[in-house]
Parts: sequence; C-alpha cells; structure tokens
Amino acid sequence: MTTPSNEQVAAQEQLHDQFNDVWGNPRGWKSLTIVNHTTVGIRFMLTGLGFFLFGGLLAMLVRTQLAIPGYDFLEPDVYNQVFTMHGTVMMFLFAVPMMEGLAVYLIPKMLGARDLVFPRLSALGYWCYLFGGLILCASLLLGIAPKAGWFMYTPLSSAVHTPGPNSDFWLIGITFVEISAVSAGVELVVSILRTRAEGMSLNKMPIYAWYILVMAMMIVVGFPPLILGSILLELERAVGLPFFEVARGGDPILWQHLFWLFGHPEVYIIFLPAAGIVSTLLPVFCQRPLVGYRWVVLAILTTGFISFGLWVHHMFTVGIPQLAQAFFSAASMLVAIPTGIQVFAWIATLWVGRPLYHVPMLWLVGFLVIFVCGGLTGVMLALVPFDWQVHDTHFVVAHMHYVLVGGMFFPLLAGIYYWLPHFSGRMPSVRLGKWGFWLVFIGFNLTFLIMHWTGLMGMPRRIYTYQSGLGWDLPNLISSIGSFIMAIGIATVLLDIVLHFRFGQKATKNPWNADTLEWSTHLPPSPYNFVSLPPVRTRHPLWEVPDLEERIDRGEFALTVIDHGRRETWGIEPLTGKVREIIHLPGNSWWPFIASLFIAFTCLGLLSKFYWVALVASIVAVLVLLRWSWENGAHPLAAPDARVQPGEPPLHSRTCDGPGLWGMGVTLLANGALYLALLFGWFYLWTVSPNWLVPDDPVIDQRLLLASAVLLSVVVLWQRPVLRRLRQGQGEPAALITCFVGTALLGALHAGLLLWAILAGDLAPRATAHDAVIVVMLVYSLAHGALATILSALQALRVHYGYVCKRTPYEPLVVEQFWQYSLAVMWITYCSVVLFPPTFGGV
Amino acid sequence: MAREVAILWWAMCAFATLVLIVVTALWVHAMRRKGPQMDAARARQLTLRWLVGGGLLLPTLSVLLLLLFGIPIGHRMLPLPLAGEQPMRIEVIGHQWWWEVRYPDSGVVTANQLHLPVGRPVDLDVTSADVIHSFWVPRLGGKIDMIPGRDNRIRLQADQAGTFRGQCSEFCGTQHTHMILDVQAHDEEDFVNWLQARREQQISALPGPAGEVFDAHCGQCHRVAGVSEGNRAPDLSDVGARSMLGAGVLSNEPGALLRWLHEHQQLKPGNAMPLHDDLDPDHLSTIADWLETLRP
Amino acid sequence: MQPLRSPYNPIHIPLGLVLWSIWFVALYGGLSVGCALAPPDPAQGQWTWLNGLLALFSLLTMVAMLGLAWLFQRAARDQREGQPARFVARLSAGVNLIGAIATVFVALPTLSLPPCL
Repeated sequence: MTTPSNEQVAAQEQLHDQFNDVWGNPRGWKSLTIVNHTTVGIRFMLTGLGFFLFGGLLAMLVRTQLAIPGYDFLEPDVYNQVFTMHGTVMMFLFAVPMMEGLAVYLIPKMLGARDLVFPRLSALGYWCYLFGGLILCASLLLGIAPKAGWFMYTPLSSAVHTPGPNSDFWLIGITFVEISAVSAGVELVVSILRTRAEGMSLNKMPIYAWYILVMAMMIVVGFPPLILGSILLELERAVGLPFFEVARGGDPILWQHLFWLFGHPEVYIIFLPAAGIVSTLLPVFCQRPLVGYRWVVLAILTTGFISFGLWVHHMFTVGIPQLAQAFFSAASMLVAIPTGIQVFAWIATLWVGRPLYHVPMLWLVGFLVIFVCGGLTGVMLALVPFDWQVHDTHFVVAHMHYVLVGGMFFPLLAGIYYWLPHFSGRMPSVRLGKWGFWLVFIGFNLTFLIMHWTGLMGMPRRIYTYQSGLGWDLPNLISSIGSFIMAIGIATVLLDIVLHFRFGQKATKNPWNADTLEWSTHLPPSPYNFVSLPPVRTRHPLWEVPDLEERIDRGEFALTVIDHGRRETWGIEPLTGKVREIIHLPGNSWWPFIASLFIAFTCLGLLSKFYWVALVASIVAVLVLLRWSWENGAHPLAAPDARVQPGEPPLHSRTCDGPGLWGMGVTLLANGALYLALLFGWFYLWTVSPNWLVPDDPVIDQRLLLASAVLLSVVVLWQRPVLRRLRQGQGEPAALITCFVGTALLGALHAGLLLWAILAGDLAPRATAHDAVIVVMLVYSLAHGALATILSALQALRVHYGYVCKRTPYEPLVVEQFWQYSLAVMWITYCSVVLFPPTFGGV
Repeated sequence: MAREVAILWWAMCAFATLVLIVVTALWVHAMRRKGPQMDAARARQLTLRWLVGGGLLLPTLSVLLLLLFGIPIGHRMLPLPLAGEQPMRIEVIGHQWWWEVRYPDSGVVTANQLHLPVGRPVDLDVTSADVIHSFWVPRLGGKIDMIPGRDNRIRLQADQAGTFRGQCSEFCGTQHTHMILDVQAHDEEDFVNWLQARREQQISALPGPAGEVFDAHCGQCHRVAGVSEGNRAPDLSDVGARSMLGAGVLSNEPGALLRWLHEHQQLKPGNAMPLHDDLDPDHLSTIADWLETLRP
Repeated sequence: MQPLRSPYNPIHIPLGLVLWSIWFVALYGGLSVGCALAPPDPAQGQWTWLNGLLALFSLLTMVAMLGLAWLFQRAARDQREGQPARFVARLSAGVNLIGAIATVFVALPTLSLPPCL
C-alpha cells in the first residue's frame, strides 16, 4: 500500500467536511432536533441506564425490607408500589429500550447504511420513551405509583379496588412508552429489509441483524395486545365500560390473556437481541465464523413464533381445562430446543476456534452458566403439576431473574465492553472489569440461587414481610446480602466504564479484529458512518477485505456526491441486496420533539382528569404529525434537488415501492395485531364470560352499518384503476385530484354514517360488556375512516402543489394501503357484530 | 399429591444439575482446548454432530421424558368422577384479606381456618368476593385461583392428621401478606365430632351495654350464629377456638383479641374494620372476653 | 423481486410457523368452543369426539406442512437459482419441518387427557 499524497489527504478531508455540513449534529437547544441514529441510539442507552439505576434502587429497597422477618422498613402500601415499579421499570423502561437503543445504534453500521430508514420516527420514539418514563417514575416520588403488580391484574387494579390515579399512571404511562417500542420495531424491520449494503443478500446478513429482525417483528405483533388491554382497562376505570367486570358481562381473565399474550413474547423480545450479542461476540473472540449460521437463523425464527404459543403457562392456576394447559405446557418445553441449538452452536464455535480472553468473554461465560440454569428451571415450570406447586412463589422470582439477568444483563454487559471502543474510542481496563464481573456474578448467585429454596419452602411472592420460624429467615438474609454484593459489583462496572473515558488506552482501528462493518467507521463514528458505501460480497467483510476501512474512508465506493444536500443511503432488493433506489433521508427537525411533547400533555391531561386539556393536546399532536408528514416524498424540503448522478438508480420518492410503503405495511401489521386482539376479546367473552349479557333486540341499526361498509368498498374500488395507471406512469393531475377529492368526500360520508349508527343506536356501553366492545369496534373503524379521509384530502392538495404526480407516485400508494386495511377491518367488524351473534344465540 | 410433586422435583433437580454441569464443563473445555487448527471438512462434521446431538436430541428427549412423567401426575390431580365414596365438598371464598369457609352439607360456616377429614378426597369449590386470590396449602398440593364470577375446583386429600399452613398466593392488595389459612386435618371421627359440635353450638347474646355495642358496631359485618347476621366480615361463631387472629397476624392467646380490637390498624394496616377509638374501653374488653369464649 | 408464488420469495420463510400459529389458535379456540357448547362427559376420559376431532385436525396440518417442506426442499436443490434464493428455500423448508414437528408435539396430550376438566 502506498502512502497517500498530500492532495489525496486534503481531498479526503474536504469530502468529510462536505458530509459533515449535511449530516452534522447541531449543539445547544437545537440538539433537541437531532434525528441521527447514532445520537438517538446513545440517548436511548443512557436513558435506559438511568432507569436501570432507578429500578435497581427499588430492588435494594425490596431486599432490605425482606432481609429480616417482621421488619417495618417500608409500609405495606409503599412496599407494594416499590415492587410494582421495580418490575415495570426494569421491563418497560430498561430491558426493551436498552436493547432497542443498542440495535438502533448498531444496525445501520453493521448493514453498511448511513442511518435508519425513518430517522425522525426514531427521534419521536425516543422522546415518547423519555417523557413516558419520567411521568411513570414521578408517580413514585409523589407516592401515588401503581401498586397492583407489574401485571396489573384486574379487578385489583380497577377503579373499585384501587381508587386514585395509581393504576392510571401505569396504563397511560406504559402505553405512551410503547409508542416508542412499536415505532422502533417498525423502523428496524424496514431498515433491515431495505437499506443494507449493496450485495448483502439475506444469507450474508450479520447474524445480529437476524436476531433484531425477529425481535422487531415480535415487538410489532406482541405489544399491540397489551396496548389494547391497557386502553380497555383505562376505559373501564375512567368511563366505566365494563370489559373486565363480571357483574356487567365482562371477565377479568380476559385481561390476563391480553397481558400475557404480550408478556411472554416480551421475555424473548429481551432475550433474542442478547443472544444476538453472544452470537456476534463469540466468533470474534474465536476468530472463526459462527458455526451453523442457517441452524441459528432457524432457531431464532422458531423461538420468535413459538414464544407466542406459551402465554397460558403464566395462567396455569386460573382453572383452564387441563388439556388446554397441556398444549401450552408442551409448547413451553418446545422452546428449549431452539435454545439448545444456539447453545451448542456456541459451544461448537468455541471448539473449532482458538478463543482469546478478554473482559467480554468473562461476561459470556457468566451468561452461559446463569442462563442455562434459568432455562432448566423454566422447563420445570412448564410442567403443570410442578407449576401448581411453585407458581407465585419465590421459586418463580428466582427463575425469572436467572433468565432475565442471565439472558439479558450479562450479554448486554459483554456487548457494552465489546463496543466501548466504538462509543469512546478507548479500550476498557482489565483489572477493574474483572472485579466488577466477579462481584456481580457472586452477588447474583448468592441472591437468587437460594431463592429457589425459599420458594420451595412455600414463601409466596409479593408479601411485604413474613413471620419468623417458617425457615425463611436465613435464606432471605442471604439473598439480601447477595443483592448488596451485586449492587457493589454494578457500581464497580459503572466506575470502570466512566474511568475508561478518561484513562482508557486509545483504541486502534478495529481493536478486536472483528468481521462486521460497524468496525470500519471512525471510532467514535461520524454521523454519516461511511463516507462511501461499500459493496458486500461476504458474511465477514472486514476479515476478507483487509483494507476496507481505508478504502471506505477515501471515498472509493458509492454515493460520495453530496453537493445536492441530501442525506442518502442505498435502498436494496430485500433478498439479493441488489441496489434498487437511492433512499433520501429527512434531516434534523423539531417536529418529533413537539409532537411527543403534545402527546405528553395529552397523557398528563388524562391523568389529572382535565379531559379538555387532553382533547386539545391530542388534536394539536395530530395536527403536528400531519404537518410533519407534509415535508415528505417529493416536497422540496425532503429532496431539495432531485437530480441523481448518471448511472445511479432513482430517488425512492420517484418510485412506487419506497420504504414508506413498507413502513405502512409493517405499521398496519401492528395495527392488525391490535384489532385481532380486540376481536379475540369479543369472541372470548361470547364463549366463556361467566355472566355474558346479550340484549333482546339489536342495539344498532344494521342498515346504516351496511351502507357505511358499502361506501368504503366503493372508495377502494374507485381508487384501484386510477392508482394502477399511476403505477404505470400515467394519470394527469386533474384526474388525480378528482379521484382524491371524491374518495375524501365518500370517506367523510362513510365516517358520518358510522358516527350516526353509533349515536342513533340503543347502545348502553356502561351497562354491558357486550355493548362496550361493540362501541370500541365501531369507534376503531370510525377513527380509521376519518384518518383515511384526511389523508386523501391532503393527497389532493399535494397533487395541486405538484408534490404528487405521475413522476412522483410514491405517496398515494401508501395511503391506498391504509384504505384497504380500513375496508378489511370494516367488513370483519360487520360480520362479527351483525352476522355472527345470531349463530351463537344472540341478536 | 404433594409427595408426588416433591419426588418429581428432586428428579428434575438432579437431572437439571447434571445438564448444567455437563454444558458448563463442555463450554469451559471448549474454551481451554488446545488442539491443532482444524480443517474445514473436519470442523463441519464436528459441528453437525454438536448441533444434532446437543442442540436437537438432548432437549427433545429430556422434554419428552418430562412430559411422560408429568402428564400422568397432572391427570391424577384432576377432579374426575369417582366410583365409590364421593368426595366431600367444601366452599372457600376469598375476601380482602380473609378466608370464608362453608360446609354446604351441614350449613357450618367459619373463617380463616379449614377443617378436613383425613384419608378422604375433598373437593374445594373456590371463588372470590372481590379481587383474585389463590388458594394454596403447600403441604397438601397445588394451588388454584379464586376468581370473582367463577367457581374453580381443586381436589385435595390429607393422608395424616395435623396442622398445615395455607396462604393466599395471588397478589391481592395491601394485606396480601396477611391472608393465612389455618388448615386442620382430623381423623374421620374427630372431624365428624367437630362438625357436629359446630352445628349444635348454642351461643347466648352478650348481655348489657357491651351487647348493645356489639350489635351496633360489629353485628352489621360479623356473624355470630344466633346473635348477629352480618356477612361482610369473618364469621366469629368459633373465633375463640381459632389458632390465629387477623388471618395470621396474631396468635390467639388470652388477651390477644383485646389487643387486636385496639391495634388492628397498626397490626394489619388497611384492613376493612374501622377503628374503635370512639368506644368505651370497658365495653371493648367485655366484647373481647366474650368472643374468647366462643368455641364449639 | 420474486413473484409471490415462487418458493424463493423470502415472504415464505416464516410460512411453516405462521401455519403452526394459526393451527395452535384453532386448536385452543376449538377446544374452548367445544367445551362451551357441548362438553363431553368427563367419564369418557380422553376418548371423546372432541379429542378425536382435534387430533385429526392436527394430523392433517402436520401432513400439509410436511408436504410444503418437501416442496421447498426440492426447490432448494435447483442449481439454476442463485445462492440467496436457495438459502431462502432451504430456510422455508426447515421452518415447515419444524412446524410439523411442533404440531405433533403440542397435539400429543389430546391422546391422554380428558378435554374439559
């Protein structure tokens, strides 16, 4: 290799300066506008760390209270708030956002892209997470925190048995935070499928991307049932719609189904990305590729699906028929197989390689021991007769911490140590790191290993004290001592990490000799990651193309022209990785911050029961979101200059299959999961609600409903040929405007009829769960009809301004998908509400 | 039943420990192994063996084995129809935070204690009056949730006489901690005697001003057979014979009842009984003395 | 982009487990509805019409998945296709095979437990 001449160096620096002009992060107040994935990812992780410390503090309070029998360190009510918040904070505000933050940070870099595909959405997600988390935690400082357990079982969490705002904080705060989880899920799925490096086909993707792809899909499908459940429970608390109240036809077990339908996949949503870290790190420290790539991909997919078939194993004691329990029991045990495959793939990788010792490896060994132990007790718990014995005892507490701390926290720390040079440009120290590890490892096992025994001796969970003389004294004391050792260990680790920013050795390029692309950026990376986008022909680009970093840096590869001022990355064909279009990404913006601020006001309005504040704030939030959407597609602010270099593919806003279409598709998948959960609730109540009340006469004018559904069908049928022609590059503005204005008018009529049907019907949603569910289903359709109408009207306006035309057909196709979804939902609702009941003894 | 689960636990524990040790040993050995660099073909072959043997076969066989043992045990726990003697029925209703126990065949009602015959299957029909609770007597068998609006049934059988501790195991609010059930298993004869004694128990009302206080302040919630008919709080007809007060807060020694009447909100904060600060202390101690005499 | 019916379209990768999920919901839902409408007598043990129906349904699902696995595996052997396409087909075949195994495994208890207790 020849040393570059001075001119070359100067040209290179100039190129980087140009890129910084477009991609650079502002400082001061304006840093609130940053949308870049590196910054957003780091913000996610730092905020997650903050909440982790808060949740850890709560754990210390719990262990102090339980250290000796009959201790009155915390009052019963405070204790209940503390353990509820410990679980809630660790699950919703630490584990999931932390893993998402790491993925947000790493995924584009590993895939050879410059940013995630919807950067402003990542920013929105972050602010929702931060504000929601702060609202939730504030409740504890005010002494009105949720206190019905992190699972919020009703009727305990209902307005009758927990009056006051405690449960509202949970239901509203968590739903707010989940906006962030779902938006990150959507974004990661589309980014992984559509913005990889040129030539990175599915079989050449880094294994971490497979883990994140499955995790993100699980979030998209798994969180909506809980969002729905929270909405229903909040409606019951605030307005009195009795979805879960037996006397008025509801069923409290429905809440448990909705909660665990989310709650069990959640465990794997946390575990999979952590396993992804293990599968990424081990091969690097062995300097050999991961053994059995295809086997591992298969195992990830299997885990992702089967984990949705286990939820009832949290409900083995509610009195479900034993045959049904056996299905879930068998499925729960089945999950051991894909996990076994991964564990043995890791062992085989170690076997064929020559492992090197570093601090991250220590955490990986710790992970293995603890996680395998947790997995084994998990298989035991899946066995119904054994579960009946230890369910809701400290045995389960121990099991769950083995799985979550072993399966998430240990790999996370391995990953943090591994990627530290990436964040700071410096190497971690070995000595302090080892101390930290051993303290955490010993402290953890001291706390939780003995807790299995405490549980087997009959100590239930969630009791604030216990009598002496039951044999629980000593094990509890040991657990408490262990927890303090663990806390000291975590403090040591944090100290190590803080000190390394100042005293760590400067990292060399690619310090671990890793194989994946994130190590070819600068350390720490520039906001655009890569000044030129390299093609990828192998699973291990940095091992097989040794001087890749330098060549990227010199601008030898693609998309190095930036005088047009656009942020660009490749849009690829999902399977083969062939380049299809240039995706131009939006830059920094105030909109995400402002939108999330108004959503936060909405939540505060709901919590304080100033409903008019909530109403105004939510309308403003919708307006802000619509205004945000205005600067999209072919709007001059989105793509100031639409020209591309000769030979390059078109901008995505000039195509028919851009990332927006994919984003809408995945969002509708999440939306559909929510609707299916609602539908499940409807049929569930019909089948098993103990006191299901069916009215004698139809409660709704079925002709109005039918007319409304038919109108919606007309809209979709009218759009079809127009948009087909648009896809083929035809269609004059006048024709498009006619179509969009017409569909908007018909859509408005459809929504109006639906509203009329709701208002004119004999619905008594506060009297029976039957009517309450119907109201929610109809309002759901109404909201979709109204939103689709607004979107079509905006499309007409955009045609008028010239943002949408036959050369820029991008947006109407996205809106069409939304119309089609609304249509499907409307007809399913019609069939379920009008046609189904007579077949089941109703009207 | 609990014995079978205990055997199951020890077997699983032994097996799991073995698996944990083997997997960890393999991992550590793989890390420290110093062999010659492997060629690709050999590595491939070895890998396949690991994945199929360890990843696929080991968990599948273990899980099948477990189901083979586990499902029959679960089957035996089911409340299936019996051929000979029918199981005895007892109703247990959960309240925040106490247990109501009813013997439907004899009309006997009690609270926070459960008397059982030995050597005979008992079907417990459980439900709840407010939030979800869970019935669990660890030494007798599994647990079953008590859910408002639903009747769940669990079949238990005590094999020897004795006292067992039951405790609510579904979090049910502030005093979930103090919801303990005292279970007494008697020989068939003793049990029949107890039931008979309860049925024939004659309680005469407390005379004088303390009696009026009891009627006015306690009788609306508490039932004492033949004296008051309240049904919102524990039945007190045999409270003097119970081993504990407040569902596990105090042991029922002489004087404990009076202490409970004075300090119950410190002993069990949040319980539904109002404070008695406005009552004459003498009347309270008369009531406590009288309650202590209520035994079958 | 491959046409939707091509065995090399990556959309088919999760097919086997999607089918498994639908089967699983139908199994649990069918059991619940069966027990709500016409619960068999507990004295019959596990040999009831409901168990039989569920077992038969599971068997058919398993056969369908095995068939799909075979189709995808055949497609994966086609040397004319590129490496990524064959990777996808093999993955789909594997997922279908797993779906079939999972179906049998989860349905086994229908042969040993009474349905509605």
